[in-house]
Amino acid sequence: MRKKIFAALLSSVMAVSVMTVPVLADGEKTFVYGTTGYGVEMGDEGLNPHNNYSGWSALRYGVGETLFKYNDNMEIEPWLATDYEFVDDTTVKITLRDGVQFSSGRTLDGEAVKECLDHLLAVHDRAPSDMKIDHIDADGMTITIYTTEPCPSIINYLGDPYGAIIDMSYGTDGVEGDSAGTANVAGTGPYIATNVTDTQIDLVKNENYWGGEVNVDKVVVKTFSDASSLAASLQTGDIQGTYGLSYDSYALFDGNPEYTINSCATSRCFFGQFNYDSELMQDEAVRKAVCMGIDKEGFCSVLMQGRGLPAKAAFPSSFSYGNEAVTVPDYDPEGAKAVLEDAGWTDTDGDGYRDKDGQKLIVRWLTYPGRLEQPKLAEYAQATLKEIGIDVDVNCTQDHLGVLETGAYDVYVSSLTTAPTGDPEYFFTTCCLENSAKNRSHHSNETVETLYKQLHQEFNKEKRGELAIQMQQAMLDESAIFFVSHLNMGIVTKSNVTGMAAHPCDYYEITADLNVE
Amino acid sequence: MGKYIIKRLLHLIPILIGITFLSFAMMRLAGGDAVTYMYENAGTAVSQEVIDAAKAEYGLDKPFLVQYANWFGGMLRGDMGESYVSHKDVFETFVSKLPATLLLTLSSILLTVAIAIPLGILSAIKHNKWVDYLIRFFSFIGNSMPNFFAALVLMYIFSIRLRWLPVITTENKAMSLILPTLTLTLSMASKYTRQVRAAVLEELNKDYVAGARARGVRGKVIIWKSVMKSSMLTIITLLALSIGSLLGGTTIVENIFMWDGVGKMAVDAINMRDYPIIQAYVAWMAIIYVVVNLITDIIYHYLDPRVRLGGEGA
Repeated sequence: MRKKIFAALLSSVMAVSVMTVPVLADGEKTFVYGTTGYGVEMGDEGLNPHNNYSGWSALRYGVGETLFKYNDNMEIEPWLATDYEFVDDTTVKITLRDGVQFSSGRTLDGEAVKECLDHLLAVHDRAPSDMKIDHIDADGMTITIYTTEPCPSIINYLGDPYGAIIDMSYGTDGVEGDSAGTANVAGTGPYIATNVTDTQIDLVKNENYWGGEVNVDKVVVKTFSDASSLAASLQTGDIQGTYGLSYDSYALFDGNPEYTINSCATSRCFFGQFNYDSELMQDEAVRKAVCMGIDKEGFCSVLMQGRGLPAKAAFPSSFSYGNEAVTVPDYDPEGAKAVLEDAGWTDTDGDGYRDKDGQKLIVRWLTYPGRLEQPKLAEYAQATLKEIGIDVDVNCTQDHLGVLETGAYDVYVSSLTTAPTGDPEYFFTTCCLENSAKNRSHHSNETVETLYKQLHQEFNKEKRGELAIQMQQAMLDESAIFFVSHLNMGIVTKSNVTGMAAHPCDYYEITADLNVE
Repeated sequence: MGKYIIKRLLHLIPILIGITFLSFAMMRLAGGDAVTYMYENAGTAVSQEVIDAAKAEYGLDKPFLVQYANWFGGMLRGDMGESYVSHKDVFETFVSKLPATLLLTLSSILLTVAIAIPLGILSAIKHNKWVDYLIRFFSFIGNSMPNFFAALVLMYIFSIRLRWLPVITTENKAMSLILPTLTLTLSMASKYTRQVRAAVLEELNKDYVAGARARGVRGKVIIWKSVMKSSMLTIITLLALSIGSLLGGTTIVENIFMWDGVGKMAVDAINMRDYPIIQAYVAWMAIIYVVVNLITDIIYHYLDPRVRLGGEGA
């Protein structure tokens, strides 16, 4: 009797399990993608590009597309637009692509784009101040944008994920009747979302995609908050591709023919700003010694396990105004010691740390734990700077903004995506000017301020690049700032997955090229 | 009994006020706010005007006491507010996460009871025999193992090596439930096995057991009819605490297995300083502990004549 009951129970469990396993039709291609980059904590849950950072999800997962996109060198190129022309400093005329349909069935035209951008400007927090749009006119397959002031980088901003073009008549509220669902939209991309929650997005291929055949029938995007589970899921085959693996997990897949690792340097940069309000940091010798005393190569190869690339500039090497365009002192502990000796910093009491006029050489290093790399960098700097006689007092706190207000720091180390739209102006506006929101140096360089005024008015791309080089060099020459590393973004997939590549802007992950062989 | 229950439920009011006020104050003392964290996490910068406008929208620019009063006023009207981060209704968000937590709690408790009670009794009956040593050895290991480590070990064996079970929650809920349940059960069953063993051993050494044996009552009858009934009070108290804790979510397990319950939601909210969600969670925790303890007391009332008669006497 007991055996019968047990058998009945077991059969029931198995029956339930079988019934709940997704049934795949013959020949149907499905791709399951695990990421740590999606969810409420990242501010990008849902697909509505007009909400917070959700535009990133619309672009990353192939639902939305922008008028312009960034190529591998982060240069702008047409996407839903085919061309643009600056009529004058405050007017730009954009020609739209023919034959594009939203997943709702509506045809993309000037009116649809105007509706979308008008809504974006009405509700989004960053777009209005970025693009400075006064009004938009639509005429057939062209739109004309009028700005309140010259905005040379407006085309770049239109490539920002918030600029993903969606059908406003479809709305942004989600699937009808799905109260728990998160915003769904009708975009023009190769995939259409059928279910959107803050932990998962289910996608099906857009049969009417303007860009050609879409290879994979179904895509499931799942969010992970634990890096071990992400790696294990790829190993078991629960997922076929990942974004956001922890550094130590790459060793599991590196050199394994069953997996493909695709990576490239992004413009997310880890960098430090010296606080000029601190008396110690007004000593240029100390600033220079710190810059020379940090072993960036060692940090990237050892602590970041090759997932970072040493940085000289705010922008990676793929930019014409990136690493290769500026000159900075190499890692040189002996040279750093000489600089400090010449400035009168010596170790008088033999404790291993230098002092001058009775003052110990202690650098207060402020950072925050939100990015895994930053506490590691602080510890690494503490170790390497000790070798040249600098005592680094690390303050790694979530309340770093509170400490910033008190001024109790000598160097502030943070990270920033320096060129989210492939244009250099954003970094300088944000961090380097007297009134910049993130100028933690409390210092402005006259040359930088003057060059910025030119940059802000300059429409020529080459000239903008040249100005960006000069501005970075001016800050580096006075050792006001140091760049340590650019994050090397990695996507790991099963080897039978093709057409999925890491991109410097970190926006395009699932595209029509994705295929499961 | 009815009056007693009402009185206990009324205790909830000062508890809720006190605990939500404390948590509100502690989150402010920790520094930072939802708006700041949201923009910091995104890694791009926005102007101070944008930040200030967002703070004003959520009332984060107001004094602490005003913010708390606004939140509590909303609670009294049945409005738990809206998440600063997701902009979703807090109550709806909370309710959407609850079934997963309830399911995991139920499965873990049932499996724990199914393992711990027989093993605990067996260990007590076979006191100081090899079976007892074996059970104690494994229960010691299970008890000492942190949940995250147990989760990774189980994941390695059943998912990566044997490929029997999924690592994370999939559409197949039945299969997805197994690993989180096993992880939680491992430590709880180990703990309870030892507790049941101790409680049963204590009872077995009492005179009434010796008397029953002398009268020729069968061992099984003594265990199940007398000893277990007496030992149940201890076990129920412990189980009640575990149920309370499990209903509050099991953050580590939920994160590792992507089990979308209230524990994961609470930690995400704490990381993002999403005060309305945190406050709802704190209120929920207070309510479940009060209610679970109340239910435990009621069960005592029926199980133990001493409690019942003492209550009536008073």
